[in-house]
Formats: sequence, structure tokens, C-alpha cells
Amino acid sequence: MSALFDEKQLRCLEALLDTLIPPDDFPSAWEAGVGDYLLRQLQGDLADLQTSYGDFLRCLDAEAQHLHKRDFADLAVEARGDLLHRIEKHQLAASWTIEPGKFFQQIVEHCGEGYYSDPGNGGNREQIAWQMVGFEVRG
Amino acid sequence: MSDYDAIVVGSGAGGGVAAAVLAEAGKSVLLLERGRALSFEQVGRDHLRNQRLAIYGHNAGPDIEGNPRTLDPASFPIPVGEQQGAHRVLRPHEPGYQNNAACVGSGTRVYAGQAWRYMPQDFRMASEYGVPKGSSLADWPIRYEDLLPYYERVEWEIGVCGDHRSMTHLPAYDKPYPMPALPLPQKSSVHRRGLDALGWQSLRVPRLINSLPYNDRPACIHCQHCVGYACPVDAKNGSHNTTIPRALKSGNCTLRTEVMVERLMCSAGGAVAGVKIITADGLRERISADVVVLSCGAVETARLLLNSATAQEPGGIGNANDQVGRHLQGHYYPGAVGIFPEQMYDGVGPGCSLATCEFNHGNVGLIGGGMLTDEDIVTPITFWKRDYPPDVPRWGLAAKQFMRDNFRRINDIKGPVQEIPNPDARVQVNPAVRDRYGIPVAHLSGTSHPETVRSAAFMRERAIEWLRASGAVKVWGRKPQQYLSGGQHQAGTCRMGDDPAHSVVDRFCRVHSQSNLFVADGSPHVTNGGFNPVETIMALAWRTADTIVAKW
Repeated sequence: MSALFDEKQLRCLEALLDTLIPPDDFPSAWEAGVGDYLLRQLQGDLADLQTSYGDFLRCLDAEAQHLHKRDFADLAVEARGDLLHRIEKHQLAASWTIEPGKFFQQIVEHCGEGYYSDPGNGGNREQIAWQMVGFEVRG
Repeated sequence: MSDYDAIVVGSGAGGGVAAAVLAEAGKSVLLLERGRALSFEQVGRDHLRNQRLAIYGHNAGPDIEGNPRTLDPASFPIPVGEQQGAHRVLRPHEPGYQNNAACVGSGTRVYAGQAWRYMPQDFRMASEYGVPKGSSLADWPIRYEDLLPYYERVEWEIGVCGDHRSMTHLPAYDKPYPMPALPLPQKSSVHRRGLDALGWQSLRVPRLINSLPYNDRPACIHCQHCVGYACPVDAKNGSHNTTIPRALKSGNCTLRTEVMVERLMCSAGGAVAGVKIITADGLRERISADVVVLSCGAVETARLLLNSATAQEPGGIGNANDQVGRHLQGHYYPGAVGIFPEQMYDGVGPGCSLATCEFNHGNVGLIGGGMLTDEDIVTPITFWKRDYPPDVPRWGLAAKQFMRDNFRRINDIKGPVQEIPNPDARVQVNPAVRDRYGIPVAHLSGTSHPETVRSAAFMRERAIEWLRASGAVKVWGRKPQQYLSGGQHQAGTCRMGDDPAHSVVDRFCRVHSQSNLFVADGSPHVTNGGFNPVETIMALAWRTADTIVAKW
């Protein structure tokens, strides 16, 4: 699926995005195609963030291992959320090779872009996010 | 003998009018545009790259690579672009660049087309209010009455819909609009409730949109992608489908696209001889003309004059008194967002419905003010990026469900504020940074006058008051900061005036030092009103072109 990330990083990315926009009656970020959006952007407008994304995902797994002896993707959704809140507050257990707080904010932005923008950008599959919020395109 | 009678540089609001009037008067006209002609499909509906939300680029040009500008870091409250020496280097979609679209029609290809006349007071701001310290506030050398016949021509010939009886802030109209106002969306009844409760004027926003079939094109179909995008049925009236086709139909106008003007050519004795251009293939040509009209927008028109230095005017054409590029202004757009108990969104575009001009003038302790209106339909990502409440979680189930539960219950009120010009807000050229053609780029510096920020803060409070009176249960919005303004409403850089010491063009928009060089865009605006400026740009261009023809 991607030349950018190995399988472990991809699992982590999926879990990360699905913590930012989890499933409910409407699809999660990953189910709606945010991963496709992001992988496309990382080879386009966001190409200079490839390394940072890779670093962030590796460090996120390291953080999860440090705290819970599991990869981030193997944590329950509540534990994943708690861990991300700790990152936002710079409460870090592992040693990070990237300043995680600010970069996490960027990931949140990218996730929203993929979920809520037009399907032509790769996410918001079949306009599912627009159906959720009630933005109907007529004409 | 010259290659053309006239060359018009730039095909936006002013350039389109100038080309049409000159060509229909029988003059041979060359209309030059740096961008391309864009179809509806080419403009597209990319929600991340459009004239409304340009996170990664634009849908109507210019290309994000090869068209940089530089900015004094002190002109913007946050670091933007890339630091290079003492300056920030910006790409067109980055904040602080002051972008205008680069395509046939320029901004009119993708604008909202709000069609406002300025008020009589807007032409005599210094007389009305005095001149605050540090500002270059001045009266226009012309009056509302001078532009009135041209406002009417724009309204009838380019096509404006609206309700002239609701424009109670203006002198009574002699002619109604040619088309009735667009139908009101559901949210307008909520907004009207607020206006009525406050006793504020309530008017129908005039638009350069066909509410009925007009000029052989159909009526608006009320889609959800108006401002920032192209019209799917060609019911939005811009230069690309009104004045430029008129110019071409006359048989006297040639349109060349993807052509950059490098500099003006001068002849002896205070006249320009034509332009030097560079094509997309990098070929250089000299084209001569008896008259040249600059319609490049306030930043690029100033840049071209400054890049056209001569032995007589080593600081740039028209710049003997160091006025070209100064007094750059645009519009602060203060406002606020509210959540309502009832559904505000019904999908009926364009969406903007009611406005009030209650606060354009007569505010105690303020210089001018501004208009307020509700906005066109906002896409989900634009809402999420720009209008999302700061105290709601931005990720997790709560964020997702906030979007699900509230997107249709949210609406914003905002509007353009009359800016108080100052000479330090300016465009210069930066020979150290070149565009893709090798031409020195525009360098922007200075910031807004404190009175502008005060007016904006006041208008934000009025927006909050309107939202609350309409029943909003929660209201939020950023307080205005100080920064260099310009943007799509950019104006002021070739100020109109009778005294060459303090202006660049005369009352007919002719550059003082040149007998045959004119400006037809927002640059001559002495002040920029508290309104979207496009109808005034068009009307002034019409008057300028009419004057050229009358004396020729």
C-alpha cells in the first residue's frame, strides 16, 4: 500500500487516525479514506514531512511500549486517547526524536482535511463525512 | 504606427471593462493576462485549494511555484513563508501574500460578486472625520455623483440582482436593479429576527449573479459552491463572461494569455510607447501602443510601475514623488460565529442573504466603520479550519460529534471594514528575489493603522450583538490583530488626486507624469469603503475608459 511506511508504521498510523476520528454511526478516519489522503499528500504537498511522520509513528509505538508494553495499535481506544492527551501535555515516557506536541497538532489538522474535504483529495469516501454533517451537494 | 491603439494589462474587473469600452469604441485593443483561461472543470471543486481556503494552493492561479513575493516579518503577527535574509519569502497561497487570482477574469472568475456602491461619505473621509495621526486619510478627487452613472451601467450591463428599495443607506436609486434579489435561504428569517429586534437596517445583498436569465445566460441554480469557485451554469457575472466577450465580439480586441509584462516602454516627452512582455515559452516581445491601461491589481500594478524605471523617473514610472505602492489597503473582515437552536443550513446557495449598513458611518469615536452580512455557504472543511469554536475538542469522538450535531446550526456574521490608510503600508520591488520570468518581485511592508484595528474590534462586537439578538446560544470569534492588509480587496497603491506630490494618478486615473498611461483597478482608490470593492473598481474603470475615448 505504501512505500513510505513499513507495516508496523502503517498499523500505528491507522490506529492514530482512528483515535482522532473514531468510528460511531459513521466511519472512522481510516474507513473514510483519510489514510489514502495522507499517503497521497506525503508524496505531494506534504512531502517534506515524510521523515517526521515516520519518526512520530516510531516514537508513538515506543511510548506505548514504555507505558503498556504493547504497540500503540494494540491498545484499547481509551488508552490510545489517554496516551495522545499525555503527548499534547508533553508528558513523555520514552525518548522522542521529534518534538511531538506541535507535530501532533499538525497530524490532527491533516486528519480533518482528509475527512472533511472533497473526495477528490482521497478521503471522505463517497462523501460520507458530508452526509454525516449534512452538507449536500446539489448542482 | 503602433501595433495596437491600446494595451490593457490584466483581465480582471477593471481590465475587462477597459477592454470592452475601448474595443467597442473602435480602438484596436490587446488584452494581456498572465494566467490562463479556465473552464469550470479546470477551476474545479477542490476544498483545500481554492480562493476561499487555500491551504495547499489555488484553483484560479497563480501557480504556487515561480511567483514569490517577499514580506517584512514585522508586517504579520505569525511567521509565514520562509525566512531569507531579513525578509520572509511567500508563495501565493501563504498568508500575507495578498493574492489575487491569475486567470482570465482574475478574481471575478471565482468571486462572490457582492455588488456594492460605496456611500457618498466614503469619497470624502478626511472631510467627514479629519485626518488621524500617522494616517494618509484623504478625500477622493471625485464624488459619488461622478461614479453614479457608471454604477448604473455596471448594474445593468454586467448584471446585478438586488432590491434597490432596501438600500436605504444610499441616496434613492434612479434605476432599480435589472434583476430581483436572490431567493432567501431559511437562515435569513433568523437573521432578520435579530436585525428587527435591534432596530437595525436590513437589506438584500446585491450580487453580480443572474437571479433570472439575463444577458443570454441562465439564472443561478443555488448550488453550494459559490464564493471561491466557478459557477456551474455560468450565472455569475464576471469579466470572463461579460466584458471580455463583449470586447472580443467587437472584432477589435485580441486576448493573449500566459503573457507576463516585464516593463513598460517609454518614449520621450512623458508618454509610454508600449510594453515588453515575456511569453510562457520565455520569448520576449516588444509591443507598441498609443495608450496603456494597467489593471493588474494594487500589488502588481505598483510592481510593474516600479520595475519600469527610466532615466527621467529612476524610481519607477509615476514615482517621482515616492507615492507608487504606498497606502496599500484592503479590508479587515471582523465577525463572529454562532450556534443557533434551529437549523440554519438549508443548502440554498449562494447563502449570503441579509446585510446591514447601520454602522458604516456615524459611529461615535470611530472613523467610518463597515457593513455586516451573513456568509455564503461554508464548506465543512472551511468551517473546521476557520470557524471551529476554540473551546471544543479538536479530535476524538467529541470533535466528530460536534461536527455532526452542529454543522447545520452554525452561521457567521462578518463584513469588510473601511481601512484608514497609511503611507508605510506599501509595495516596493525586491531585486534580490525574482519570479519565474526573472522579474524582481513585489516586497510588502508596513502594517495597518491603529484606527483600522479599532473599527474592526467595534464591528466584531456588532456582529456578536446581531448573532445574539437572532437567538445564537453560543458565540465566538477572534479579536482583530494588527497586520498588513490587502488581499483580494487590495487597493490604494496608485492613489488618485489632483496634486502630483501626494498622488499617482489624476481624477481620470491617468498617471500624472504620462500623457497616455492609465490605471483601472483598485489602485487609484484613495480609500476603500466599508464594502466589497468590485462594483466600484468596475465603475471607475468604465469612467476612465469613457474619458480616454472621449478625448481620443
